[in-house]
Amino acid sequence: MSPLHTPLHPRRRGVAAAACVAATALVLTACSDDGETGGGADDPIVVGISLPLTGDFSEPGKGVQRGYEAWAEFINEDGGLLGRQVELKILDDQSSADRVVQDYEALIAQDEVDLVFGPFSTRLVVPSARVAEEYGMLYVEPAGAANEVFEQGFENLFYAAPAVADDHYNYLAEQILAMPDGERPQTVAVASMDDPFAQGTAYGLRDKLAEGGLDVVVDEVYPPNTTDFSSIAAKIDDSGADMVIGGTQYQDAVNLIVALQQLDYQPQLAAFSTAPTNPEFADAIGDKTEGILSPTGYTETASWPSNVDFVKRYTELHGNPPGEDEANAYTTGQVVAAAVEAVGCAEQGECQQQLIDWLRENEVDTVVGPLTWDETGKPQGAHLIQQYVDGEIQIVLPKDAQEAELIHPKPKW
Amino acid sequence: MTGTLLFQSLVLGVLLGGLYALLAAGLTLYFGVMRVVMIAHSAFLILAAYLAWFFHQQTGMDPMLSLVITVPLFFAVGVGMQRLLITRLRPATITMMSVLLTFAVALFIEGMIGFVWGGTQRRIQLPYSGDSVSFFGAQIAVVKLIAFGLAALSLAGLYLLLKHSRFGQALRATIQHREAAQLIGIHTNRVAGFGFGIGLATAAVGGTALSLDATIYPSLHWHWIGPLMAIIVVGGLGSIPGAAIAAMILGIGQSLLQVPLGTTWAQTIFYVALFATLMLRPQGFFGGRLAQRF
Amino acid sequence: MLNASDARPAPGTSGRAPDDRAVAAGRPWGRIVRVAALVVGVALVLAFPTMVPNAYILSAGIVVVSYACTATAWNFMGGFTGYVSLGHAAFFGLGAYGTGLLIRDVGLSSFVAWIVAGALVLLVTIPVGIAALRVRGASFVIVSIAFVLILLLVFQAWGSFTGGSDGLVVPRPFPDLLRPEHHQVFFYLFAALLAVMLVVWWAIDRSRFGTGLKAIREDEDKAQALGIPTRNYKLVAYVVSATFTGLAGGMYALWFGDLDPIFQFSIMLGSYMVLMALLGGVRHLFGPALGALIVGSGLEYFKLEFGDTQLHLVATALLLGLVVLFMPDGIIPAVRALLKRFGPEDSSIREVTAAELLERNRTASHDAPSRDTASTTAAATAPATPTTRQEDGR
Repeated sequence: MSPLHTPLHPRRRGVAAAACVAATALVLTACSDDGETGGGADDPIVVGISLPLTGDFSEPGKGVQRGYEAWAEFINEDGGLLGRQVELKILDDQSSADRVVQDYEALIAQDEVDLVFGPFSTRLVVPSARVAEEYGMLYVEPAGAANEVFEQGFENLFYAAPAVADDHYNYLAEQILAMPDGERPQTVAVASMDDPFAQGTAYGLRDKLAEGGLDVVVDEVYPPNTTDFSSIAAKIDDSGADMVIGGTQYQDAVNLIVALQQLDYQPQLAAFSTAPTNPEFADAIGDKTEGILSPTGYTETASWPSNVDFVKRYTELHGNPPGEDEANAYTTGQVVAAAVEAVGCAEQGECQQQLIDWLRENEVDTVVGPLTWDETGKPQGAHLIQQYVDGEIQIVLPKDAQEAELIHPKPKW
Repeated sequence: MTGTLLFQSLVLGVLLGGLYALLAAGLTLYFGVMRVVMIAHSAFLILAAYLAWFFHQQTGMDPMLSLVITVPLFFAVGVGMQRLLITRLRPATITMMSVLLTFAVALFIEGMIGFVWGGTQRRIQLPYSGDSVSFFGAQIAVVKLIAFGLAALSLAGLYLLLKHSRFGQALRATIQHREAAQLIGIHTNRVAGFGFGIGLATAAVGGTALSLDATIYPSLHWHWIGPLMAIIVVGGLGSIPGAAIAAMILGIGQSLLQVPLGTTWAQTIFYVALFATLMLRPQGFFGGRLAQRF
Repeated sequence: MLNASDARPAPGTSGRAPDDRAVAAGRPWGRIVRVAALVVGVALVLAFPTMVPNAYILSAGIVVVSYACTATAWNFMGGFTGYVSLGHAAFFGLGAYGTGLLIRDVGLSSFVAWIVAGALVLLVTIPVGIAALRVRGASFVIVSIAFVLILLLVFQAWGSFTGGSDGLVVPRPFPDLLRPEHHQVFFYLFAALLAVMLVVWWAIDRSRFGTGLKAIREDEDKAQALGIPTRNYKLVAYVVSATFTGLAGGMYALWFGDLDPIFQFSIMLGSYMVLMALLGGVRHLFGPALGALIVGSGLEYFKLEFGDTQLHLVATALLLGLVVLFMPDGIIPAVRALLKRFGPEDSSIREVTAAELLERNRTASHDAPSRDTASTTAAATAPATPTTRQEDGR
């Protein structure tokens, strides 16, 4: 871990200033900002980040944190950015939109960070992107994949992953629709968390299948804090759908699958977003994973030059290869670093607009492959489809990246 | 909607109603003995579930064995809470202030759970988590059946205790008319303390039952306290049979409504019932004289 | 901060706080000090945006002022009538969402939408108030919490109308302003809203209506017996309180811009209001605002210092517990009592709460049983004899 990196004790000055507010307005003048100003050749480049380290999104949030930390560490080992060391300033937003705005406000206005990276989850990306925009900061984010993010008219936002949520299942949809009549599932049951990302993935697939002539027989939405899935599972079971699609994060997928198992519901195809790529997933559902499908934007075995290096160094550091969250965070770092190196500056003000303009025009090589963006910041790519085959999660689609054959129909769970 | 689905929902409703009944019985008991609305009841429920999870995590043994520890522990905490906190409040303002005090206790528990075990969701994975038995075409998960069994046994035990023991008589006398109970020589103070302890013990049993088949996280208790409070108002504040009956009816109602309305809207049944009760029969549908003026 | 309203002798309102006025009349310099304190306080609030080192501190200041607004609004009900509502966040959320939805769906301009949303909250509150006020004490609290929970469910589930869990984006009223300027404008808007609330509270405090409400707080049955239309009085107080809370919520929506059901309809927000008001002192004009200053800055501090843990919940819990157990009347009376010890003994009549009176009588009577037994008396005889039924009022 970099010696400069201080994730747990952020903004002493902020605390001092807040304490001043607490004490009385009278002493506020004593709290005036006498702190650092960036720009000196030897000063570190400070990157401000707010992540959900507690609350609903804390599992993926910690993954993103590991990815950012790995990026900063590797880049510092390689001599830094523009010859300056990189320092991360990570705050916890408790998965709360109120908090994330306050955090970015503090990072930009009070701590005067040189760059900002995005937080996790679409719900937190939109409010914080607005803060960044109003301060004119470049805003590259690792996790706001839902369409909604790109409909807000942000001019400073770039999503550092291959595809937006709606397109995650594109390869799977093509594959299913190309199946011969006898094999192709006829009915689909959909259950999704009321969350822009989760719904984006599930509804992208649902709509493509519905257009292709499949019947959507169950279409359920549940709020993020749902823990009892027995009635949703009962409905899916009762419909006898051939295929089940779960627009899920992590725990809800586990609960839904266990509830379906309790009812002994056996679909031909089962696709869930996010959860199956989590290393603890297999344990959590009692190792009955065989045949479960999931989209992913990242595979550790991809042969992109920077990925080989990233996987090797990350594995040396942590003892296990990076997952999707880590890779997306690392990608964010790579995208910003590419812009910074090309433009030759990293500070607030004019520089940020130059970085934004550069990214609009150029392609960046990352661990998830080369990325380009349209004018809304949407990446122009597609996700891979993974499936549990022989107890391992492996790439099954598209054909040219395949590690194993797609199993259909899925074995019993 | 098919007949099977309806029957399946009905069975799920009964199983859920059993757990509601046990927890609501505890909540209404506090009100009976002390005129206290115990907001922290469901926080203790979640705490017990966390303790069961932690016990399973550490020892690898069945989480139900944690009852041996949590039930006496919670009983003692309940007695202590009544003695050390509730009785300190000014009698004239006890109803309002006890709400705030127990609210503070709930927040404290939530914060400490998050501090000690983190904010992530937890779930116990048992060898029989995915198993189920077939019952006239409905599939009933084994874990839900065990949870219901625990709740039903405890409720039956509570009933026997209240109806057929000297202590139970004293407790009921205290609930019905505290002053009169004192006049005939009942130590109402001690009885009230024990009443609190029993209430909290129901939370320990309920929490363990809950942990078998549910995901738990620190702020989950807010999702329980709302329905439970609605149940005890509908049942009549202070009336244990009323709470149990209302819990069963509303639990089944919620489960059946989930089929046409979805999970979120189905939950509103508790609040609709609460508002309807207040407009039509503020003393509750099963409560006696006691509930009338509260 | 001192209670400036208490400084002025007010003949004609014989029912209220005679001790303050007697003190003020006896010591004219007391009034001067209070007016001076008020002027300095106002000046500090007005100068705050120009004194802050950066926009972040200013935004923290806005949060504190918005807390002060909500706590003061809560106090119209909690302070005057003694009915503790833990569910005022419901009105905050309704005001916020009402404002946002009126802008989005009806196309009203920002501040018109804000006023209309306030009016809508007022209309919604009337039936809710009638239902909630059919009962006293415990049930009222239960209803107040249930109302927040039901609205949370509805706003989460009714996604097509409210935006559901995706949240709702409220357009900026001043799109041309830079962020720091935007903060400045809203700081003054919140401060103005707070000033309006304080003036209204002050006016009610001095009115017959206010006297009636306070009579309800001390003993609802006696108040009724004296001919006070308690139900209507409580309803009006409840509606005023809810409407102001709704206006604070709407203002927050215009300032913050992103609404999410979980954070707008949060029990925590409602509990902060209660904590702030109790801590400052519910019987005093500036009590809730003082509580908001302490709790609001404390929360901000705790979230910064211990942000990656749940310790701010524990801290809130401990503070609430301590206030309830040891300082239920708040800081202002506690400090006054302390000052009074060093000052000359004042001989005038004091305002005494029914609770204190009961306590005093009990300790005075020599064969007084334990405090628990006395509570029994009050509770057990409650339905029969109205005179011992104070507990329901608070």
